[in-house]
Amino acid sequence: MAGSALRRLMAEYKQLTLNPPEGIIAGPINEENFFEWEALITGPEGTCFEGGVFPAKLTFPPDYPLSPPKMQFTCDIFHPNIYSDGRVCISILHAPGDDPMGYESSAERWSPVQSVEKILLSVISMLAEPNDESGANVDAAKMWREDRNQFNEIAEKLVRKTLGIP
Amino acid sequence: MGDEGENVPANESNDSVVNQDELILAQQRQIEKEISESIPLVGELDSVTSLCKEYSTDDVYLEKIKDLASKYSHVRRTRPDGNCFFRAFSYAILEKLLCDKDSFNTFYKLAENSKNILVELGFQQFTVEDFYETYMEVLKRLSDIDNLDDAKKELHIIFNEQGYSDYMVVYLRLLTSAQLQKEKDFYSCFIEGHRTVVDFCHQEVEPMYKESDHIHIMAACSALNTGVRVLYMDRGVGSSVTQHDLPEGCSPSVHLLYRPGHYDILYP
Repeated sequence: MAGSALRRLMAEYKQLTLNPPEGIIAGPINEENFFEWEALITGPEGTCFEGGVFPAKLTFPPDYPLSPPKMQFTCDIFHPNIYSDGRVCISILHAPGDDPMGYESSAERWSPVQSVEKILLSVISMLAEPNDESGANVDAAKMWREDRNQFNEIAEKLVRKTLGIP
Repeated sequence: MGDEGENVPANESNDSVVNQDELILAQQRQIEKEISESIPLVGELDSVTSLCKEYSTDDVYLEKIKDLASKYSHVRRTRPDGNCFFRAFSYAILEKLLCDKDSFNTFYKLAENSKNILVELGFQQFTVEDFYETYMEVLKRLSDIDNLDDAKKELHIIFNEQGYSDYMVVYLRLLTSAQLQKEKDFYSCFIEGHRTVVDFCHQEVEPMYKESDHIHIMAACSALNTGVRVLYMDRGVGSSVTQHDLPEGCSPSVHLLYRPGHYDILYP
């Protein structure tokens, strides 16, 4: 059985390369180690993150896909569901019953038939529609609720930063 | 992250709150791990009366164990990790099938076709493939052994190897989910609250370590075309254990002992 996580990750990489979903590029940082991936996520159109290209790191456990990977943005990002150190906090990255954030009961959870693609698509919808009930970044959640203009301004600065535009 | 302070408010207080939560989770995982390491995934046969040791000061349970012992001679414990029903059920069915070549072959064919059913229901092929292949590999390995005792030994070894054992559990979880989705009109009556059958499957059936209820057992039996008898033993009134056959009126080929939150295998 050793190697089943690796086999699955290789299958997922192949799948993502053959049928890349819009706005997502993802794969191992180094093909010698399939347990560390980098993903590039394009900010969804019509949102304050539009046009940005946000890099993130995915770290897979040895028993993947029984347990979910961890995901962390490696760029500056300000968002209600992302910790200030970049760690992503959404329901699909947690098994049911294993969530400090009290997600809605209808939210998507991790199971062995989820995939990297599903995680990244969830992250894109999270960028478009923050869930202010599970505030990983309370300041961002507060600003999103109470001062949308300032939130948008910060987001635009971060978008420019990811593109290297001053 | 150099100029973060300029446009992004600091939120350290926020992170320390989260760390508390993570500490609690980490502690919970540690406790779970300790339980795991102390109990085999699937244990050796024990006499039913060995259960008395767990309840030496509890008269209600001791009475019920006496009753249980009049119907069953042995019990095989499983690890209480939330997967116990699926692990116990898989093990017990295969153990039973080893004694009957024809039934085994029928079961093999049923399993062989099961991946197509999953894919037709919308499971992505690459997510189910490894579990299916492991399941079929185990069936193949068992069917290749002629001597019954050797086959039973092999079954026991396989189910105590975490990798194989967990993949067997996942695949039965997927088959159970598929069965629920195939007959979702029927099963929707058993789901509390406003969840759809599909949501229920995603949250309560497909993820590892989620405990099983009546509805999981009904669907698993139906998926594998097998009947099970569950003996319920709890602190409720009375001196006897209650039994339920699923589906009702079946002649059960698997016998399970249920104590609140946990399933073990029983042997007449």
